[in-house]
Amino acid sequence: MATYAEMQEIFDDIRSDFRYDHELNGCLNCGICTATCPSAQFYDYSPREIVQLLWTENVDQIYDAMQEKIWACAQCMTCAARCPFKNSPGGLVAIMREVAIKHGMDSARDVLRPFGRVMLKLITTGNQLSPDMIQPDHFPDWGPNIQKVEGDLKTLRKAIPVKTLQTTATAWEVSLKTSVEMYTIWEMTGVLDALELMDENLFDVIEDFIDEKREEYEDWLEEQEEDDDD
Amino acid sequence: MSKNQTPPNPGAEGQGIAGHGAFFQQTNLSPEEAEKATDWVRKHVDKRSMDLGERMDDIRDHMWELEKEGEIIVHRITDEHKPETVQTLFGWDKKIPTTRLWHHKSCGQCGNIPGYPTSLLWFMNEFGYQPGVDYLDETDQTSCTAWNYHGSGIGNVESLAAVFLRNFHQAYVSGKQHGHELGHFYPLVHCGTSFGNYKEIRKYLIESADLREKVKKILGKLGRLVDGKLVIPEEIVHYSEWVHVMRHRIANELQKIDISNLRVTVHAACHYYKMVHEDAIYDPTVLGGNRAAPGTSIAQALGAQVIDYSTWYDCCGFGFRHIISEREFTRSFTMDRKIRVAREEANADVMLGIDTGCITTMDKNQWIGQAHGQNYSMPIMADVQLAALACGADPFKIVQLQWHASPCEEVVEKMGISWSDAKAKFEQYLKEVEQGNIEYLYDPKLAVGG
Repeated sequence: MATYAEMQEIFDDIRSDFRYDHELNGCLNCGICTATCPSAQFYDYSPREIVQLLWTENVDQIYDAMQEKIWACAQCMTCAARCPFKNSPGGLVAIMREVAIKHGMDSARDVLRPFGRVMLKLITTGNQLSPDMIQPDHFPDWGPNIQKVEGDLKTLRKAIPVKTLQTTATAWEVSLKTSVEMYTIWEMTGVLDALELMDENLFDVIEDFIDEKREEYEDWLEEQEEDDDD
Repeated sequence: MSKNQTPPNPGAEGQGIAGHGAFFQQTNLSPEEAEKATDWVRKHVDKRSMDLGERMDDIRDHMWELEKEGEIIVHRITDEHKPETVQTLFGWDKKIPTTRLWHHKSCGQCGNIPGYPTSLLWFMNEFGYQPGVDYLDETDQTSCTAWNYHGSGIGNVESLAAVFLRNFHQAYVSGKQHGHELGHFYPLVHCGTSFGNYKEIRKYLIESADLREKVKKILGKLGRLVDGKLVIPEEIVHYSEWVHVMRHRIANELQKIDISNLRVTVHAACHYYKMVHEDAIYDPTVLGGNRAAPGTSIAQALGAQVIDYSTWYDCCGFGFRHIISEREFTRSFTMDRKIRVAREEANADVMLGIDTGCITTMDKNQWIGQAHGQNYSMPIMADVQLAALACGADPFKIVQLQWHASPCEEVVEKMGISWSDAKAKFEQYLKEVEQGNIEYLYDPKLAVGG
């Protein structure tokens, strides 16, 4: 359990985000947001409650909500579209999630564990998911009709009449230069630091991958220069 | 009131008309006078043209000011992009370019529903667009990374902004490699979440000098500034908006199959119209202007029966994180609130979507419903896929329905296309593919970017 000072620090981080005043403008407690919220129908989660906690600066209950509740939000932003005060409870939840990660909260670690594979794909390739991640074996709940034509994945992907889509390990072919540019973005915006705090093993794997790709890119650049000299 | 009771006589002395109370009095107006007195009931109220005063800011006004002050460069939609002007939620104009488009792909579509982008490119070819001149699909682009952000919280406004500006800078300069001017190709965003995220990020970039300052350093390091400035697009345009403005041309020039026998429901993507909602397109001729127009408008133009349903406003249950790690929520929500309702209320032949996550969610999570006695199903596909079928595209080679788990066979058959014949033809084609004889929508060399 965090001390009150730690909880206050977490709240201060939330409200110092420049989006905070944009997303929170007051609250009538009308509950339109909760009435229309898909997650409220399935979880102990209410966007109205989140807004009220923030509006009343209830730091210990904000901390409490960050243990589990904020991860129930489906981020559909229906609440934001309906709120008569132009609040965005979904947007506030996004800020709270970022702060939960920044403070290395256990709730964030638990939630992100099953997300590792997606994170690895995204950070290293610039694509969120790939055809080889969506194989029938991985999703038995999608039923027997998941693939309507028999055939190996490579051939089926080659049969897509668009060059960039004939891939299996990325959703589309991303050029090496593009991926290397992405790594710079991840580094300069603190995303890799956040990842290290959340999952050190995953971070190590990603770092190695990035180093390898950067070397590959440097080699390619050298080859280009040599070709130009010739 | 019990069943056997007689309802009160509306005209009886002192009773008034049912529901109006005893104080009701006849006006004794002539039919002409009555019609005049109730004119306001029949009057069309244009909800799109309300005066918002200072309550709602059009961020684009500030964008032009920033350009004037030399802070940014606006990637313009010019006459060369042959734009169509449409109206958004509050009646504001939005320009939709119809040609010279840079395809900004969707990771979920390309990875999982490839018939989505192929149907779109197929349409451009059918209209005679020249690849490399009228459109470009290239490798120098990444996901917007917003799926990850909304799902995990890893990432932040700066990373999202840097990715947005990097991808859109590439769109701005991409023409050079093909002998065109800067700004030749205009970005067409395929994914609904990318569309919503980019609009939100553009708003933050225009509002926050601090954010601009931070990302400028990153873009500078990447060599992605033009004259030392950030490039920001005049409009952020979703592919479904292109389909929307092209719908009459699609129906008039390309439609081959009559689909007036199809009952169609539409699920508009939350991130299309609930994020930066003032930018979504509405049209009084599409469900009275009470629903976002894209998706529905093409079904209407093709002559299908568009059927509304009570849970149209609900999300699909995708949840970003939930589809991956809390699938019980995703499949329960999609079955209870979307598929069951579209089946029982609308008895639809197909549900159309305009985004990646919704189609994945609704398409893939039907079969498991049987575990809870939910023995119903519904073909799910994108608006552009149904349109391509109606215009004679091959269900496998182009529309790529083999990747869908929902019973798309049923709607294809109802359109008079033989699923088994098309499948047999495609299986033959796969043998050709194995031999390296692959058909392309454009010359693969054009794809090499960066």
